[in-house]
Amino acid sequence: MTSEVTQQQAANVESSVGLSSSDEILNRVGHVTRTLHDSLSGLGLDKILEQVAQDIPDARDRLAYVARMTEQAAERVLNATDVAIPLQEELASGATALEQRWKSVMAEPSLKSEYNSAANETLTYLAMAGKNTAETKALLMDIMMAQDFQDLTGQVIKKITGLAQDLEKQLVQLLIDFSPAIPKKDAEANKADTGDNSALLNGPQIDPNAVDVVASQEQVDDLLDSLGF
Amino acid sequence: MANTNTKFLVVDDFSTMRRIVRNLLKELGYTNVDEAEDGVAALSKLKGGGFEFVVSDWNMPNMDGLTLLQNIRADAELSKLPVLMVTAEAKKENIIAAAQAGANGYVVKPFTAATLDEKLSKIFEKLEKAGA
Repeated sequence: MTSEVTQQQAANVESSVGLSSSDEILNRVGHVTRTLHDSLSGLGLDKILEQVAQDIPDARDRLAYVARMTEQAAERVLNATDVAIPLQEELASGATALEQRWKSVMAEPSLKSEYNSAANETLTYLAMAGKNTAETKALLMDIMMAQDFQDLTGQVIKKITGLAQDLEKQLVQLLIDFSPAIPKKDAEANKADTGDNSALLNGPQIDPNAVDVVASQEQVDDLLDSLGF
Repeated sequence: MANTNTKFLVVDDFSTMRRIVRNLLKELGYTNVDEAEDGVAALSKLKGGGFEFVVSDWNMPNMDGLTLLQNIRADAELSKLPVLMVTAEAKKENIIAAAQAGANGYVVKPFTAATLDEKLSKIFEKLEKAGA
């Protein structure tokens, strides 16, 4: 329906302006396109887009690196604990068994053969304890070394955070440069009409020299005075 | 092996890495270890005196490890101090720059306990030869 009307209007315009005018329309569209292209380049938009196209894969690669390093570290730690836990369990159960053994030997201290066999079991246990604690210590060192990812991924994440901030800044600048002045005012008026105050939530003004910002209470008071409050 | 009482300064902006290096040094028998979080803090600690070995990261805020190294070499009191770079910077130009600035060793992260041990031993050996 709408398109029919539009086509009709276009046909009317065409028939009324004639062939030479349609040439002029083409010229003007060409001119506008050229101006747009020039202004995009002039604002460095082409550079920004090029930068974005480079930065995104770069950030993706860096994040993949973070994922890989953290996964490796987690596996290393879990593997070490898988080995260390049975070593510790062996120590604990051996100690409990020996304790019982010695208690029963002490109950009847006269049995020399029992005493000797308990002593031998103790020696075996001590040898095992020495081996297990040395192995556990090596595993703990490995767990410690596995944490070296934090330094590396930390550096990478800092870079990506910086990159995200740059992108944000550039995109915001893009919005500022390209938002047409009049529609922006309309949007603000609409916001006010619908009672949306989110536009007023700007937080503390970090630049007192910025346009439309007051720098002191005095200026606030003066402003209120001038408005008759 | 050098004197186990050698006083080390470990410089890194990540506390995790400082703890790891400290623990590794302890494992190697060196228990006299202090830490600094960047080049500025390191330089002020070093100027306080008493340090005999520096293990430093490169990429740090305020003052990076290369600048720290250059400052150490330019300081009459500190110029002879052995400096081992332990860094994630793995470009050739980085390693060359560190060497030109007078680093005694260069370890790329991530590294193993054995690597650190080897580099430390090598530096101590050279120092002993130079001293002998």
